[in-house]
Amino acid sequence: MLSLRGVGKKFGAIQALTDIDMDVYAGEVVAIVGDNGAGKSTLVKILAGVHPPDGGTIEFEGNRVNIVSPADSKELGIATVFQDLALCDNLDVVANLWLGRELTHGGSLDEVEMEKRSWTLLRELSAKIPSVRTPIASLSGGQRQTVAIARSLIGEPSIVILDEPTAALGVAQTAEVLNLIERLRERGLGVVLISHNIADVQAVADRVMVLRLGRNNGDFRVADVTSETIIAAITGASDNAVTRRAAKTAATSMVTEVSE
Amino acid sequence: MYGDPVVYVNPTPGSQSSLREANRGRIVDALKFHGRLTQVELAGATGLSPATVSNIVKELSTAGVLHTSTTSRSGRRAIQVTLARQLGLVAGLHFSSRHLRVAISDTARTIVAETHVPLAADHRHDSELDRATLLLTDMVESLGASLSDLLAIGVGLPAPVDTRSSTVAPLGLLRSWEGVDIAESLSRRTGAAVFVDSEANLGAISETRGDLSRIEGVAAYIRVGHTISAGLVVNGVPFRGVTGKAGQIGHITIDENGPICRCGNRGCLETLAGGRALLDLFRSDPSVQRLSDLIIRAEEGDPSSSRVIADAGRHIGIAAASLCNLLDPDRIIIGGELAQSGEILIAPLRHALERSALGGTTEAPEVMRSTLGDRSELMGALALAIDHVALDAEGRLVESAQ
Repeated sequence: MLSLRGVGKKFGAIQALTDIDMDVYAGEVVAIVGDNGAGKSTLVKILAGVHPPDGGTIEFEGNRVNIVSPADSKELGIATVFQDLALCDNLDVVANLWLGRELTHGGSLDEVEMEKRSWTLLRELSAKIPSVRTPIASLSGGQRQTVAIARSLIGEPSIVILDEPTAALGVAQTAEVLNLIERLRERGLGVVLISHNIADVQAVADRVMVLRLGRNNGDFRVADVTSETIIAAITGASDNAVTRRAAKTAATSMVTEVSE
Repeated sequence: MYGDPVVYVNPTPGSQSSLREANRGRIVDALKFHGRLTQVELAGATGLSPATVSNIVKELSTAGVLHTSTTSRSGRRAIQVTLARQLGLVAGLHFSSRHLRVAISDTARTIVAETHVPLAADHRHDSELDRATLLLTDMVESLGASLSDLLAIGVGLPAPVDTRSSTVAPLGLLRSWEGVDIAESLSRRTGAAVFVDSEANLGAISETRGDLSRIEGVAAYIRVGHTISAGLVVNGVPFRGVTGKAGQIGHITIDENGPICRCGNRGCLETLAGGRALLDLFRSDPSVQRLSDLIIRAEEGDPSSSRVIADAGRHIGIAAASLCNLLDPDRIIIGGELAQSGEILIAPLRHALERSALGGTTEAPEVMRSTLGDRSELMGALALAIDHVALDAEGRLVESAQ
């Protein structure tokens, strides 16, 4: 569905991302893991349209696309839930879900319809929100994350990007968010999950993509891989798939040269 | 849980009283899902009017189903509603290969809280027992109780369990749980008495208890999912063997020169029909990564997916025929993740079984799908816990029978 080839990004003298390849299919959870400064957030921001990439190509459903602004990303059907969630603490759940997209009826807000649709959506996600009329400030961390994810679904996206959705959550709330990710997958959405928690990643992801120092350092099927292998790829203890591929290409070209 | 089909005895469909019955069910379901709610929140969560909620809550609390107390929400007086419990609480935990399910019920088998969470494929005993303890603490607190109110905990694991030592029996089947006294380890964390058994045995217990007319007889519960195992129940009592390995049909040798199994042997049933083996056939297809994907594809009519499930059914049927020749059961219940595919799996299984078992089609045992679905092991874990809590005739606690 979404496919990145050779994407790079430079901030001044710092090469934040080099030659990144990535694929996301419908109904699949792809986890992006990596050390601090590995480029996870930069990659998310490229997909969200915050930073345009310097090089490489992005294909969406087979068509080459340019994502230069958040509006482009939204238009394509990519919804991003950032770590700070960007919810309005003083507004209630309904107001937050429909913020900027309020339904109107004869010139005034259609509160009834918005509340009804909010309940439908939250029920579909089996969300544990006791009331949609409570202000966000009185919800738990897990419930806020749920509201933020539910809000991203209002625009009917095909890919949802979650940046550290379980950071700073308790065990029960983490369980809620992990179940929610399973629900998103069942709806046929592609989910990109950024996380530091290897156990959570192994629980819900189908594939794990490891970034190290701004490069691809492994793309594993979760079913085939142990947590030790993933950690080795994150820390750089196992060799870099990209350098290995580069070495292989170099070797083949040498062979060609010799045979010539 | 929420949205699960709840069977009510409807007086007349569409009548006033059947509507009332359905509304009562909605309120009870919402409370199971959320723990405790105020009446106002109940109205929001169920979509019923505040007046209806107030009436039903009043009615059900006089009947002793609900318990109300006064609290405050946003500085205003509110009535908080919980499910009533008088008999003390027990907990059930089911660690399957990829999922943890947790439920808390009272000793009258009414579930008052339930949750679940996906697990990593190779989960570890220490982190998972810690997580389970925290989840349990959270759940009992949402009921207004504490961990010390838990009388007993039943635990199911995806491997044979030696119930004498509460350890995972043979080496290699659940690597990160081996060599640990699981009952002792969880009991240290929670302070409750803990009883451990294999998930197949727990499924067998819960699936055979529902039908009181059939206590006499031999039943086998075959759990088909990421792993394959069976639980045996003889005249209402689970048969575990000496070290708990009875019923492990996933490790019957089907092909002497077959692929190497995680148990160290070759050509076990699991290497041909286990979840991992089935998914490995779809390696090049990113849309089939889990058993649920495979089942959905088969139900949509994809020929290769149905074929793979049917082949698994045939292999399991051959192994089940050996089981029938040894034990002569009168019914075989098929459960586990792959049983969700229904007759796609069970029809070829039944056919292979009738072809290979003694007595053929006329005397073959009844083969049916589990009635409790993916919750049957969890219900078994609760039953195991309740069995160890002795009650007198009025349902009052005597003492915890160890």
